[in-house]
Amino acid sequence: MTLILDMLTSAAILFIVATGLLTIFGVLKIINFAHGAWLTVGAYCAVATAHMGLNPWLALPLAFAAGAVLGLLTERFIVRPLYSRPLDAILATWGLGIVIGQLITLWFGRDVQFTANLIPGTVDLLGTTYSAYRLFALVAAIALGLGFSYLMEGTRLGLSARAVIMNETLARALGLDTAKIRTVTFMIGTGLAGLAGVLLTPLTSTDPTMGVAWLVGSFMLVMVAGQSFGALALACLLLGGAQVIVSTYVSPILGGITVAVLAAIILRISPKGFSRA
Amino acid sequence: MKIPKIISLVTGVMLAGTAMAQDGEPIKIGVPVGLSGANSVVAPSVVQAAELAVDEINAAGGVLGRPLELVIADDGSGAVGAQKAFDSLVYRDEVDVLISMETSAARNAGMPIVTRGQVPYIYTSFYEGKACSPYLFVNAWVPEQQVPPVVDYLMSEESKTYFLVGSDYAFGRGMLEFARNYIEATGGEVVGEEYLPMDGTDWTSIISQLKSSGADALITSTAGGAPNVTLTKQLRGAGVDLPYANLAVDEGTAKNMGADAKDILISASYITGIDSEENRAFLAAMAEKFGDELRTPNDLSVPQYEAVYLYKAAVEKAGTTDTRAVLDALKDVSFAGPRGVISMSKQHHAPLTMYLGKVMADGSVEVVDAFEAVDPGNQCPNL
Repeated sequence: MTLILDMLTSAAILFIVATGLLTIFGVLKIINFAHGAWLTVGAYCAVATAHMGLNPWLALPLAFAAGAVLGLLTERFIVRPLYSRPLDAILATWGLGIVIGQLITLWFGRDVQFTANLIPGTVDLLGTTYSAYRLFALVAAIALGLGFSYLMEGTRLGLSARAVIMNETLARALGLDTAKIRTVTFMIGTGLAGLAGVLLTPLTSTDPTMGVAWLVGSFMLVMVAGQSFGALALACLLLGGAQVIVSTYVSPILGGITVAVLAAIILRISPKGFSRA
Repeated sequence: MKIPKIISLVTGVMLAGTAMAQDGEPIKIGVPVGLSGANSVVAPSVVQAAELAVDEINAAGGVLGRPLELVIADDGSGAVGAQKAFDSLVYRDEVDVLISMETSAARNAGMPIVTRGQVPYIYTSFYEGKACSPYLFVNAWVPEQQVPPVVDYLMSEESKTYFLVGSDYAFGRGMLEFARNYIEATGGEVVGEEYLPMDGTDWTSIISQLKSSGADALITSTAGGAPNVTLTKQLRGAGVDLPYANLAVDEGTAKNMGADAKDILISASYITGIDSEENRAFLAAMAEKFGDELRTPNDLSVPQYEAVYLYKAAVEKAGTTDTRAVLDALKDVSFAGPRGVISMSKQHHAPLTMYLGKVMADGSVEVVDAFEAVDPGNQCPNL
């Protein structure tokens, strides 16, 4: 039972971390390697909230806003000239990630920072005691996934975004302001990364390099998932679940590389990953 | 008419000279330390401790009438930076002694330079043990001193089965290997031993195994800083409330972790709460000298402070800064510092009083037990 909960919640955490990256990759076809840095910015929003003595839950909207505003600036000044050169965009965002990491170090110092746990304690569930926060993460991941499905399927913005994904030239010819759609999508992606950073704080230490560890995993998942949120959820369940099984029955050290190895194998067999688009 | 003026001027200068009591060339102390890289969090506290010791000694007249002077060099916390730092300290600055807290990688990289340059080297960081050289002295703990107090205490609290968790690197594995042998030798049983890479963040499956193992107690030895915090947060999140001894957490980190750190057992040769005249005086002097800039003194910075005084005692005993004579004297001298009376008398290592501390709900560390003069064991039988 604990194993199943471990698998589900691990997948949920991976999903939360990877959504921001998928949003940007899905619509803009850009791999945002500054994703780890936005996660870190989000986590430091939680630190700042704690310093100001505010309710720790306020860090969530604060981090989304901070991520979105920084995303706006990044898209306008760094990423926009590079849409036709995706490889250069990888370099530029990777460099940006390093710069943000250093700025955070200058501002907050290299030390590990501490934040209050959003939901401490455990709950009794089906005969086992389990971390309340991990169960909350599962709920949060589902809410995030459903919210995003609604955004993409049920709103005007989602319709426009899907039009850009399918055929950008045609979308522009039909009078859609594709530049604006790109900006808004990028902002949502970085905002989600900031949000994910706050949600990670009860699980990990907060330090200037915390995002890097999560970047590789989410990059692999997004490569496997392609452009669809359903595929991302599937990838997280399969790969995250496999990671827990390997860690439990073989070795936690091998478990740490399970996601990367499986992703490589999946992409070798099926270059488009799980995406049918 | 003019002559008395000159005389009075000359005597004035001489008086000023004797007032400072230090006409000689300064004695240079080289401090290679990790101002950047992994040790950068703790290095400032080490430098502060060295500065206080030098200030105090100079204010009291120096050593053999000569003032002490610190030469700090960044070793980048690793081997490459250490080679540069040791090279420039030994050959360019021509320091009389090296006193420093460093990573094991940096120490190993610096040793050939120390041997070639023939400089006494006092190493002030706890480490995995068995580093031996005629030039090297160590005044901090080795596993033989740190692990037994923790295990003995847990045994006395009726913990018979243990689960060990660590980061996958030399120090983490070395400490837990020692812990496993000691537990088995004293009649306990290890029911699980698991590691995660140093940059690993997901302890989920290890925690689930710990919970299903039925262990009475948990002993961890992760890399300092982030992995330690991550593991503790996830343990508390999963509701683990077993007796929990952490071989790698320092007092400051434990304080900052707040409620999550409550009831963690730590084993150290220095805890700020040590109730002695020397420790109170040391803490007061640090607070007065550094004010708001003060980094909390800790198990890595206090040995640095004491090592400067041990070197002073050795030079005074030898009557010279000559390497051979100082090395001979370092074996015999002792200094009563914040950690008690320290003497590097056992094969260049120091018997130490080890403190078992428990983190309280408000983050302070309370001394549960003190183990006096814990022997470092046979670290260097050939010395």
